[in-house]
Amino acid sequence: MSRIDNSKFLIGILFSFILIFPLPVQAAGPETPVGGDWLVRHIGAEPATLNPVTATDVYESTINGYVYESLLERDNRTLDLVPLLASSYEVSPDKLSYLFTLREGLKWQDGKPLTSSDVVFTFNTVKNESVDAPHLRSYYRSLEKVEALDASRVRFTFSEPYFKSLEMIGGMSIIPQHIFSRGDFNTHPAGRSPVGSGPYKFVRWDTGKEIVLEKNDSYWGEKPLLNKIVFKIITDETVALQVLKRGEMDLMALTPVQWVKQTEGRKFNRAFAKYKYYLPGYSFIGWNSRRPVFNDPKVRRAMTMFMDRDAILKNLRYGFGRVVSGNFFYESPDYDRTIEPWPYDPTKAAALLEEAGWVDSDSDGIRDKDGVKFQFEFTMTSGSQFADQVSTILKEELSKVGVEMSIRPLEWALFTKMLDDRNFDAVIMGWSLPVEADPYQVWHSSQTEKGSNFIGFANREADLIIEESRVTFEKEKRVQLYRRFHRIMHEEQPYTFLFMNESLVALDRRFQNVNVYPLGLDTSEWWVPTKDQRYR
Amino acid sequence: MNLQQYLIRRLLLIIPTFLGITLITFMVIQLSPGNPAAMKLRTGEQGMMGDEMTREIVEGTKRLYGLDKPIWIRYGIWLKRVVTFDFGTSYKDHRPVMEKIAERLPITIELNLISIFLVYLLAIPVGVYSAVEQGTIRDKVMTVILFILYSLPNFWVAVLLIMFLGGGDFLDWFPIYGISSPGMEGAVFLSRLWDHLWHLMLPVFCLTYGGLAGLSRFMRAGMLEVIRQDYIRTARAKGLPEKLVIFKHAMRNSIIPIITLMGYLLPGMLGGSIIIESIFSIPGMGQLSFEAVLSRDYPVVMAIATISALLTLVGILISDLLYVWADPRITYEAEA
Repeated sequence: MSRIDNSKFLIGILFSFILIFPLPVQAAGPETPVGGDWLVRHIGAEPATLNPVTATDVYESTINGYVYESLLERDNRTLDLVPLLASSYEVSPDKLSYLFTLREGLKWQDGKPLTSSDVVFTFNTVKNESVDAPHLRSYYRSLEKVEALDASRVRFTFSEPYFKSLEMIGGMSIIPQHIFSRGDFNTHPAGRSPVGSGPYKFVRWDTGKEIVLEKNDSYWGEKPLLNKIVFKIITDETVALQVLKRGEMDLMALTPVQWVKQTEGRKFNRAFAKYKYYLPGYSFIGWNSRRPVFNDPKVRRAMTMFMDRDAILKNLRYGFGRVVSGNFFYESPDYDRTIEPWPYDPTKAAALLEEAGWVDSDSDGIRDKDGVKFQFEFTMTSGSQFADQVSTILKEELSKVGVEMSIRPLEWALFTKMLDDRNFDAVIMGWSLPVEADPYQVWHSSQTEKGSNFIGFANREADLIIEESRVTFEKEKRVQLYRRFHRIMHEEQPYTFLFMNESLVALDRRFQNVNVYPLGLDTSEWWVPTKDQRYR
Repeated sequence: MNLQQYLIRRLLLIIPTFLGITLITFMVIQLSPGNPAAMKLRTGEQGMMGDEMTREIVEGTKRLYGLDKPIWIRYGIWLKRVVTFDFGTSYKDHRPVMEKIAERLPITIELNLISIFLVYLLAIPVGVYSAVEQGTIRDKVMTVILFILYSLPNFWVAVLLIMFLGGGDFLDWFPIYGISSPGMEGAVFLSRLWDHLWHLMLPVFCLTYGGLAGLSRFMRAGMLEVIRQDYIRTARAKGLPEKLVIFKHAMRNSIIPIITLMGYLLPGMLGGSIIIESIFSIPGMGQLSFEAVLSRDYPVVMAIATISALLTLVGILISDLLYVWADPRITYEAEA
């Protein structure tokens, strides 16, 4: 399953995680936290670069989350944006200007002071055409001006009001001007040895082996407890699990089959605790509404009702995840939980097809309408086992009711080109969601030609809701708008919404004070009792 | 025509061949669907872009990567740089392509050299043995074993070895990822070397056992061919000991085709095994080429293609020279 990540604005260590079952959270002992020991983590591939502006992979954000800091961060419990490098901020009444004040005594890890000119430099770099960061630049389109008023105050000016502007400013990693201003930005050596302002500083990067960070003793904020964070690069998940079992790693993400079949032994559970959380995002099948077969909501709803989503979830992912009925994150207030996903009901689905006028008029075993046969191509990315199985099940189901579906796997580069050309009937893929989602990019009718609205969804009411919500700064009002939007999604079924996945994690039990927050695990509060410490 | 003339002619022929190969590769890669600039943008989707903006950003990225010029001009620029061995920088991390290749080439060459050496070392005696024992039960057992080995997919064998010999649940005999243990940097040379070789055991085994079957059958066939020749019968009739007949008269002649195969192994040295490398987390060429093709990292793909083309051309030349050296009946005149 291909994900399109927007991890830049997920401020936190891992992705947004939510607890669903009461899990064995280890209570901290009576003793007070002590420093020492390392945390050895698994990453599945090498980051391309550790330059936070040009990087596009999730590995970079996992690592740089320890090294670089942003003006604001999300509170672990409330998910609100709270001060980090900034001590305060003010928003003008017209919502076009944001004035940030930096904390006093901020320092880069090389001892130089961190000032407002670093902040200005960061945003000017992102806006600079010759910097290889198109994926970020698109967010700052309406950011007109960034100016330093003095050493600790920065003013941002926007051309239009937008409720996510604060997150855009607050979520960007601030980079040191005195390092990056020398030489070419894209090829800058700091991409291989970052210097940030965060609690951990970079030690070394052994290509293909490991990346090591150590405690920054001159950190401006609360000193971290663990001495080192080591990221082991192991590309194969089977091997990674073996390495974990050997005690050479402390923390890794598990696959559903590993959770169910390979980590159930008593020996494993003595050494490791397992955690689960929902990941903000969902998988879906998109129906190209430009095609005569899919331009009727009844047909799309029928398609959804031909899918036994509960059974698929149980069989393919051991039930880890949840069937969703709309485009928002299940755990956010935007998602209306009173809307139940359409049930699996092939009889009713077939009746819906009849209602929509798709009947087999020439008795050739395939339904047709106005001379068009109900045949379509289902496109997926090759190598995705999940897509492979879902498509096979659907094809089988549809063949019983006179709908002919063919399956076409494509490699990712071709798949994205086909999306851009709008040249498909149906696709299966997934979206990752930021904490506060804005449906504009995927659902607004202005985005059908070149944007991410590749299925060509256009609905007047939905457009109005999107436009209004973008300039609505009161969260409660936005929630009401979005719940209405969710209802439209459910009725129209532009997508068949499939599943929100669960993230599964195993962690060595020697770590204390492990809490599961909506934003995931926060490693910065962990510590290990002196008697259990493993590394010096 | 003597050796010198022949060599000069062959080396001059390499130039147009090389141009042809790179031109075709360049066109195929750049004209295949998928656009690196658009793919880069995709990674930040669900943002707040309008249509116009998207187009602008993609165009800007194309300019940055130099993809806005017509394709023949791009080829010209690329060729001009390549003549000075400058392959440009990767789209992925903007590091010089040669630096990235230099980082990964040693381990791939090492793995390939060791496994090719082992394949030859084992295949020749196995082939000779089954040729001499042709038709006996021993030969049949050997054949069956070789075919079984040949048909076991190496990624499956690799995972089994890791499960059973890599600690965790069963025997803890071998390290299962990477090419050295962490914290070995300060150790003495010998223990570092031992640690490194210990890491290579499993991947080398997985790379070797499949090739063994193919080559030993090849050797067996060549040997059977030779054993039927008159001069072998003559040698036996003269009363020479069987060992001498087999190893001196027969094997030397049947080894010729196998030796000449070696020239063709040269380009193969460059390409790592994608599957084995990703299973054992070995940062080699296989991973690099695979990722480069998937993400349409043109400079990297072109550099690897160019180097393999050159190695192939040189390999063929070496093969031809080896033929002449190994078999006096072949001359340069016959080639001309």
